[in-house]
Amino acid sequence: MKKLLVLGLLSGLLVLSVQAYAHSPLMSCFDNGDGTVTCEGGFSDGSSAAGVSMIVKGPDGNALMEGKMNQDSEYTFDKPEGAYTVVFDAGEGHGVVIDGANIVE
Amino acid sequence: MSSSLLVALAGQPNCGKSTVFNMLTGARQHVANYPGVTVEKKTGFFSLGDMRVELVDLPGTYSLTSYSLEERVARDFLLNDNPGVVIDVADASNLKRNLYLTIQLLEMEVPTVVALNMMDVATRRGQSVDIAKLEQLLSVPVVPTVAKKGEGKEAVRIAVEHAHAEKTVAPFVVDYGPLESRIDEISAMLAGDPTLGAQYPVRWLAVKLLENDHEAEVLLRRVHSAPQGVLDAVVLARAGFLEGEGRDIERHIAYARHAAAGRIAREVVAVEEGRGRSLSDRADRFICHRFLGPVILVLILLALYQVSIVFGGWLAAEVWPLWGGIETFVSDMLPAAGFAEDPLVRSLGEWVVKSMTAILNYLPIFLLLFAFIAAMEDSGYMPRMAFILDRLFRRFGLHGQSTLPMILGGVYVGGCAIPGVMATKAIPDERARLATILIVPMMNCLAKVPLYLILIDAYFPQMGGLAMFFIATVTLFMALPVAKALSLTILRKKEQAPFIMEMPPYHVPTMGGVARRSIERTWLFVKKIITVVAAVAVVIFVLINFPGLSDTRRAHYAAEEKAAIDAFMVEVDKTEYKGVITHDDVLGIILFDEALRQAKVGVTDQAVSDTINERFDTANPVYSAVVRRQGDSGRTLNRELRKVVSVRKQLRREMRTERFEGSFLGVVGRAIEPVTQYAGFNWRINIALLSAFAAKENSAATLGAIYGIDGSGQSVEESMKQEEAGFTPLHALALMLFMALYPPCIPTSIMVRHQSNSTKWMMFSIGYQSLLGLLVATLVFTGGSMLALSGFQAMWAFYALCVAVTVVMAMIPSREEARAASEDGKEPCKENCS
Repeated sequence: MKKLLVLGLLSGLLVLSVQAYAHSPLMSCFDNGDGTVTCEGGFSDGSSAAGVSMIVKGPDGNALMEGKMNQDSEYTFDKPEGAYTVVFDAGEGHGVVIDGANIVE
Repeated sequence: MSSSLLVALAGQPNCGKSTVFNMLTGARQHVANYPGVTVEKKTGFFSLGDMRVELVDLPGTYSLTSYSLEERVARDFLLNDNPGVVIDVADASNLKRNLYLTIQLLEMEVPTVVALNMMDVATRRGQSVDIAKLEQLLSVPVVPTVAKKGEGKEAVRIAVEHAHAEKTVAPFVVDYGPLESRIDEISAMLAGDPTLGAQYPVRWLAVKLLENDHEAEVLLRRVHSAPQGVLDAVVLARAGFLEGEGRDIERHIAYARHAAAGRIAREVVAVEEGRGRSLSDRADRFICHRFLGPVILVLILLALYQVSIVFGGWLAAEVWPLWGGIETFVSDMLPAAGFAEDPLVRSLGEWVVKSMTAILNYLPIFLLLFAFIAAMEDSGYMPRMAFILDRLFRRFGLHGQSTLPMILGGVYVGGCAIPGVMATKAIPDERARLATILIVPMMNCLAKVPLYLILIDAYFPQMGGLAMFFIATVTLFMALPVAKALSLTILRKKEQAPFIMEMPPYHVPTMGGVARRSIERTWLFVKKIITVVAAVAVVIFVLINFPGLSDTRRAHYAAEEKAAIDAFMVEVDKTEYKGVITHDDVLGIILFDEALRQAKVGVTDQAVSDTINERFDTANPVYSAVVRRQGDSGRTLNRELRKVVSVRKQLRREMRTERFEGSFLGVVGRAIEPVTQYAGFNWRINIALLSAFAAKENSAATLGAIYGIDGSGQSVEESMKQEEAGFTPLHALALMLFMALYPPCIPTSIMVRHQSNSTKWMMFSIGYQSLLGLLVATLVFTGGSMLALSGFQAMWAFYALCVAVTVVMAMIPSREEARAASEDGKEPCKENCS
C-alpha cells in the first residue's frame, strides 16, 4: 500500500513540476537608429533561437506585434511610439523580457 | 633507535573519524562521507616519543564484508599493509551499530584501540557507557573522546603506544552457533599450511571463505599450497549448512555479528530514565510514518526541485554574462573571423570554449542542488528518506540510497546524469549500486527536454501537457523493470548488503558546513567534467567537420561570397565613399559592426552607449559611418550592408549543414539507416542522435541545423514537419522514447566508468541502452504501424504496457528472496525508525 502511495505521490510531483530546460535563454536588443529595433536571441549552449516566438508589448501588456526569430536568430521590428517591452518567449517560464527603455542606440 | 609505526584509522561513516584524524595529526581536513571524498587515502603524521607515526585514514564503512569499493580499500589495507595498530573510532551515541565494525576488526586480529567518540552526544541523549566493562568484553583498550573539542587526544596516543608495545592480540570470538563446527573444520585445513597460518588470521579467513567472499578466495589461491582442497570443502560446508539450517551462511554470519554487537551494547550502555525517546525519535514518528512519511518526502523533493531547478535556472541566466564574457574574450584572442569560413584555430577554439561554457552554465544549479543535499544530509533527513523508499526500491533490485542518484538524474523532468551517477558511490550494496548506475542515465535529464519540446510542439500540439506527462513518467516505469531485470540477470552474482543506515539525531545544519560541502562537490564536478568535455569537444569537432567540403562546393560558395561583395561595391561606388571603401574593407566593416554590437550587449544607459559609439567613431570614422548610418551615404550603405550580412549568415549556415552531412558522423548516420528505419529514424535523425551522444543538448541544435536551413523564417518544428512529409506522431513518439533510453552523454559515460571502476561496465551501459532504445523505438513504431495506432494511442498503449511490466517485475522474487525469505534484513533501522 505504501509503495503505491509513494509511487502515486511521485507521479503527482511530476505533474506539478513545471518544465525545465537545458539552457538559459539569451537575448540582446539594439536600436538600429532608423526607427527599428533588432533583437538577437539564442541559448547558453549555443542552440539557435530560430522559430522562437517574439512579442512586443505595449505599456498595458497588450501585444503590439508578434512574430518569430528568423533563421539567424534575429527579430527586427518597428520601434513603437511609447513605452514597450520585448518578450522572447521560449516556453512557459523560459523567456527573456527586455524593457524598451533599456534598449538604446 | 627511532622507529616508525603505521596506524590505520577505521570507523563507520559519521562517527567523527575525520575529526579524530585532525585531532591526532593536527591537519586541516574536511569532514564528509559523500561520494568518493574519503575514498582517497588521507595520510597524516604525528610522533609518539621518538617514534614517527604515520596515520592512514581508511574510508568510512559500516562493515568489512561486502564489496563496495570503500570496504575493499579498507580491508586490503588492513590485510596487506599490516598496520601496527588500528584505531577504531566508534560513535558512543550509536554504540550497537558501530560495534558491528569493531567486531570485524577484532576478528581480523589486528591490534586495536577503540576511540569511543562523541561521548558528549551520548551524554546529551542520556546515555552512559561503562568503559571498563566494554574494555573487558572486547579485551582491547577503549578511550572515550570528544574529538571536536580535542578531548581524549593524549589518552588515544598513550593507548596506541601501549597497544604497539604489547603486540599481542586476544582475538574476539563471535559465537557463530551451528556454524562453529564447520569453521573449525576449515580453520584446521588452513592452519595446516605453514605460510598462511603464520601470516593471516586463520579463523577470520575460514569465516570469510564460508561467507563466499571472493577476495578471500583470491587470497587463499595466492598463499595456500593446495587451495582447491580447501575450496571444495568450503563449497561442501556451504551446501550442508544451507540444507541443515535452511538459510544462507552470509545471513547467518551477519546476524551472529549483529547479535554479538547488540549483546555488548546492552551490557555497557545505560539509558537514563525517561530519556528513552528523544526529540529525534518523536520527530521520526511523523517523518518515517507509514503515510505521512511519503507526503513529507514529496514536499521536500518539491522544495528541492523549486530551489535548484527553478530558482537555479533563473540564477544561471543571471550569471550567464560571465560565461558569455569568457566566450567573447577567447574569441577576441583567436585569429579574426573570415567571411564564410573561419580559420581552423578560431572555429575549433570557439567550439571548445562553447562546449565548456554550456556546462559551466549549470554551475548555479549544481551549487544549489548540492547545498540542498548537504543540508538534507547534515540535518539527518537523507537516511530517513532512503529508509522510506527502501522497501519500494528493493522490489526492483535497487536500494533506499538509490533515491538520491535518481533525483539528481531527473526522476521528474530536470536533472543531470553526471551528479546522479556520482552520487551512487554512497550505496553500500554492490548490486544495487551497479543497477542504479545503469538506470540513472535513463532519467529525464535537463538536456533531453528541448528535443521533447520540439517533437511535442510539432506532433502533439493539442495534447502537449499529456504528452509531457507521458514522457516524464514513463521513464520511471521503464527504468524500474530494467533495474530488476539487470539485477536478476547479469548483476545476479554481485554482493548485496543489508540495509543498515544510521538514523542520526536531527540537527540544524550549519551554513558554513553546507556551503563548504556544496562548493567542494561542485568543484569536483567542474574539475572532472571540464577536462573531459574539452577533450571530447575536440574529437566531436573533428567528427562533424571533416573531411569537409569538396573543392567544387568551396568554389560555389566562394562565388556566392564574391557576388554579395560585388553587389555591395556597386552601391559603394555610387556614394561618396567610392575609392575609400574597397573590396577588402567589406569583411572589416562586418566585423566592426559585430564588435560594436558586442560592446553594447547589456548596456541600458544611453550615455554609456554614446561613449561606446564615440570610441568606435574615432577608431574608424568610415566604417562607423556605414555601421552607424551617418549621413546619406552611411544610411544607403547600411541598408546594403544588412544584405551582405544576411548572405554571409546564410552561407555559413549552409556550409555548416553541408559539412556536417558529409562528415564522418554524417556517413555513419547514413550507414545505419537500414537498421534504424524500423524505429522510424532516417539518416538525418540518426545524425542528430549521434551528435547528441556527445552531449544531449546537441540534439535540438542539430535538428535545428538540419531542418532549419531554408531562409523562410519558419520554426524548426514547421520546417521539420514540412521536410519530413511522411513523418507522423508515431515517428515522433519512437524518437522521444529512444531519446529517453539512449545512452548518457559522453561525460556521463566517463562518470559511469569512474564509479563502476570498469571500462567494461561503461561499454555495457552504452551498448545496452542503445539497444534497448532501439528495441523500444522499433516496438512502438513497427508495432504501432501494424496495429494502425495513432501516435497518441500508441503512447498510452505503451504506457499501460510499461506499468504492467513494472507491476509484474515487482512481484518476481529476487534470488535471495526466492531462496530464503526468512528474516528481515532491516532490523537495526526498524528499531530506530518505527
